[in-house]
Order: sequence, then C-alpha cells, then structure tokens
Amino acid sequence: MFITPKQQLYSKYALAAALIFIWPTMQVHADEIALKPVKITMDRNTLQKGLAVYTDICMGCHSMRYVSYRDLMEYPELHISRTKADALRGENALTAPLKSPLSEEDAKVSYGIVPPDMSVLAKARVGGGAYIYSIITGFAHDPSGRIPDGNYNLYFPGHRIAMNDPLGWLDHDPGDEKALLEQARDVASFLTFISDPHQIERHNIGKYVMGFMVIITILLWLLNREVWRDVKHGLPDAQFQGRERRDSDIDNDQRE
Amino acid sequence: MIKEILDSPIATWVDERTHAIRYVRYHLLDYPTPKNLNYWYAFGSIAIVILAIQILTGLFLAMSYKPSALLTGGGFTEAFDSIERIMRSVNYGWLIRYLHAVGASAFFFVIYLHMARSIYYGSYKKPREFLWIMGVAIFFLMQAAVFFGYLLPWGQMSFWGATVITNIFGATPIIGHWLQEFVRGGFSVGDPTLNRFYVFHFLAPLMLVVAVLWHIMALHVTHSNNPTGVTLKKKHIIPFHPYYTVKDLFGIALFFTLFFYFVFYNPTGYGFILEPDNFNPANPLKTPPDISPLWYLTPWYEILRLLPSKLGGIAILNIAFILLFLLPWLDRSPVRSARYRPRFKMMVLLLFSSILVLGYCGHHGVSPMLTWIGRGAGIIYFCFFLVLPFVHKFEPTVTLPDGEA
Repeated sequence: MFITPKQQLYSKYALAAALIFIWPTMQVHADEIALKPVKITMDRNTLQKGLAVYTDICMGCHSMRYVSYRDLMEYPELHISRTKADALRGENALTAPLKSPLSEEDAKVSYGIVPPDMSVLAKARVGGGAYIYSIITGFAHDPSGRIPDGNYNLYFPGHRIAMNDPLGWLDHDPGDEKALLEQARDVASFLTFISDPHQIERHNIGKYVMGFMVIITILLWLLNREVWRDVKHGLPDAQFQGRERRDSDIDNDQRE
Repeated sequence: MIKEILDSPIATWVDERTHAIRYVRYHLLDYPTPKNLNYWYAFGSIAIVILAIQILTGLFLAMSYKPSALLTGGGFTEAFDSIERIMRSVNYGWLIRYLHAVGASAFFFVIYLHMARSIYYGSYKKPREFLWIMGVAIFFLMQAAVFFGYLLPWGQMSFWGATVITNIFGATPIIGHWLQEFVRGGFSVGDPTLNRFYVFHFLAPLMLVVAVLWHIMALHVTHSNNPTGVTLKKKHIIPFHPYYTVKDLFGIALFFTLFFYFVFYNPTGYGFILEPDNFNPANPLKTPPDISPLWYLTPWYEILRLLPSKLGGIAILNIAFILLFLLPWLDRSPVRSARYRPRFKMMVLLLFSSILVLGYCGHHGVSPMLTWIGRGAGIIYFCFFLVLPFVHKFEPTVTLPDGEA
C-alpha cells in the first residue's frame, strides 16, 4: 500500500497525540498508602494456625456468618478434627456459624460500631490478605497526639480505627516481633482462604482447563492453517495519488 | 461427515417440511464470505458464544439466587446470603458465578473490539446501516442488562450504583419524579427495586437474543464488509464453511484461553471484574467514598459527569448515544475503510483513545485534574462526530483495490 511520507507523518502525529493525552492520567493516583507486603500461603499448617488466632483473638468480637464448625472440618485445606471442632463449638451445633459471643448491642456500646463480619472480609478490602496483615501490625502512636493509643492505625483510611490493637503490636518487645508477624500472616492467610474457600480447588481444576484450552487452540491453529492453504491471499493494493481530493474524484471512488 | 448428515433421508424429510436444512446450508455452510477477513472479524462469533454462556450460567444462578432485600441480621440480606450460598455450598456454584461475572466483562471487551473494528473498516456504511443500528441496540441492551444485574448481589456498589443511576432518571424534565419512582418501585432503592431489577435482568437476554438474530439476519442480507471496504469481486468470495467455521473456532479457542485464565486464576480481575466494595453488604446509611461503575460503563459515566448539572449530563450522554446511531449518515465519504482514508484513520484513533481516557477518568474519583482531562477527552469524542461529515473533502484521492466489476 502506497502512502505518501506526509500521510505517514500524520498517522504518527495522531498516535503521539493519543499517547501524550493518556500520559497525564497515569500520574494522578500515586498517593495511596502502600500496604505491607505479605506472603499468603494456604497449606494446612498455616491455615490451622490462622484459625487458632482467629478463634482465640478475633472471634472475641468478629463473627463469620457464612462459615460453620462443620465447614472447618470439611474443607480439605483446613480439615480440623471432630474433637477440635467440638472443643471450639462448645454448646453450639456443629452446623452453627462461627458467631462471636459479643452481641451487636454490646459492641455498639463498647466500640461505637458493630465489628464487620469476617467471612468475606479479605475480598471486601483492596489488598485482601495484605490489608488485614497491615492493619493488625499497623498500630502506632499518633504523631499529632489526637488519636488515643490503640486506635491509631497507619493503614486504616483516616487512621482512626475502632478495633483495639488485637495482637498487642503497639510498643511490643522487639524480641516478639517475629512471632507477632507470623501470627498476623497466619490469620491473614486463613481469612483470605475462608473468603473464597473453593479457591484451591479452583486453581487445581484451572490447570486442566488451561492445559486443555492450550492444546485445543494449537490444534485449531494447525487445522486453520491446513484449511486455508488453498486460498490465495491478497488483493491488489489501493493506489494513493498523493494530491488533495477534488469533488470530481468522488464519482471515481464509488464502486458499488 | 456434515455432508452425509445433511444429505441423509431424515434431513431431507425434515427439509421438505421445514426448510431447516437449507437454512443451515445457506447461513452456516455456503454463506458467501470475503476471503480477506482478518482476526478482528472473529469477535462477532466470540460474542455469540459468550451470550450463550451468560444465558446458561444465568439460568443456573437463578435456581439458587433469592431477589430479596429482607434483612437477615448484621446488615446482611437474603440476596447477599444467597450469593454466598452459591459461592460456598452449591455444587460448583463458585464456577457458575465466576463464569457469569467474568462473562459480563468479557462480553463488553469483545463487543467494544467488535464495534471498533466496524468503525475502523467503515462497516456501518451503506448498505449496512441497519446492521449497525441493531448492533448499537444490542450494545444498549447489554448496558441495561449489566446495570440491572449488578444490583442483584445487593452489595455496597450494587446499592449505590443503582441509587446514582436512578437519581439520574429523576433529573429528566417533567416526568422525572414519576420515572424515578417507577424504576425504583418506591422513593428509594429497596426491596421492590431489587425484585423488578431481577425481572428486568431476566428480560434482557430474551430481548438480546431477538436483537442478535436480527443483527445476523441483516448481516446475511448485506454480507460481511472486509478490511479494504470494497465490495469484492466473485473470485474473492469463499464459503463460510470450512474457512470461517475453523478460523472462528480458532479465534474462540484463543479468546477462551484468556477467559478461563480469569475465571480460574483471577476471577475478581484486580477489582475490575468484581469490585472489592461489593463484597460489603449494602448499607443505605453509609455512602462509599468513590462510586464508580465497572470498567465497561466508565466512559459513559464520565460523559454523564462532564457537565456540572445533572440535566446537562443526561443531555450530553443522550447526544453521545444518538450520535452513535447516526454514524452511518454522518459519514459521507464513499470510501469505507480507514485503510484508504488517512485523515479519518487519525480521527478514529483519537476517538478510541478519547473513549479510553474517558473510561479512566470515570473509573477514578472526582479530582479537578481528572475532571479537566475528562472534559478534554469528551470534547474530542464529540468533535469526531462534528468533523466526520466534512472530513472526506480533505482526504487524498485513492484508486481502490480490485472491487466489483
């Protein structure tokens, strides 16, 4: 196809204009708080330790309405024993959800709000597990001194959080740091898992699906090449005459 | 093997009584197609497959979903609970739901590329005006379908998205109040809204199927355009089967490899397919800091926000959509394809980038800088349609390739 250098230049101008136009939009949202990086793992050991942190600490206030004690036994990734489930549930039925003993009314009196349900929390926050990890290890002293200790959090939007430092992160002994970070990582992993409890199964099935799709795509590509072998490609090129359009040209172009 | 089946006595018997077999022959096997269609032309077939997936998965979801905003404690509702039941307890419910959610985004992705192809190669032009109009109608029906569908999980974004959009209905002159209450089924978004949106969401695919059939009927009268935009001579025409059945199948397989990557490994699509805030149950007392629709609606949402007044926003959004319908009549060039129209090509690329920028601005919250960038993009969008009727006067002359004799 013949295009005059001038026209080529115009096309390049257009592309450059489009790029310059898009560029400033990329610069606008660079000021969001970066979360602490964390490696979320879903092996049984981590998840069971995370469950323990959840039942020992978080469940004091937070419920999980979509997760029952029986679920904890039945999800193969978690797979706690019946004895352990019985110990956790106490008087509750095996099919009962993991409900906090703190009633909504009492929570409102103590904290001003009802603590959010934890079943889908990891999916409901930008950053997921990293958000949870950052929040519970993000307690600090307010540099301006306005927010009381235990309610100031580096990663919470607005920094004022109703939740009181659950792991005792604030002013922790440097020697405990490793253990605290591990607890935080375990519970973040557990909450990420429980927010979408079929995700491991999904990844496992996904391997076969992707494998199948890649193979069938390659086969169809080969078939396509074979089928099209006898078709002669290409049409004669259009000829640009390299001058501005005159009205008399329009009739020449009308080929229908 | 297809030949044997279609020639079999049973097929002949059916055909003599219904013409079904000759429809298949005409529309799927012998249907004349230009030989030079590239992979951009596969998106139509891909879109049909996605529509089928949406309808099937939608039916299965409807078996377990409960359209009810009745509270079940802790701010949760029956609708939200039923979605979580699908995700956790229904056998392979997670797969069906993720297919449906990713399918919605995939549908728009494919349709945008399909439309872009059509604009670039001038496929909307005479004699394919009706084909284009049905296409735009399908696009609007899809927008309606996702808008209604997005309310159903009854999360924060569902609720507030529906509130914002139904507020816009309220700004319509004279009938605004009546219209808003009619759409909501009350004074605010609530249980009646959810019920009627569920019905509308179920109605949308029925209308979509009719519109798609009409779209294909129109295509099969005027036949496909091709990248040169020229009506081709007979020697460049080949049958649909096996050439395009196989080529489209390859395109479909390639696309669905990407599709299944998202379904199985990244179903929330970094928040672009399922927004994080929508996993919080709807709370009518707590407005989210940023309310924005999913990515495929953001360009139009940004156009809605371009002007400071609500009514002005609706007005220019309507104009933006009407201009899309009028495209075949606004473009007065006898040459179809942008390949042979360097000025038009430049304009088209600017149009596409302006829609991308509008989408970016619509996705993010309001800030003075983004507002102005959005306005710039909006001006380019409208300028495209403003300049289009005159641009052919400035194009260089061209002798088109081997056309119809």
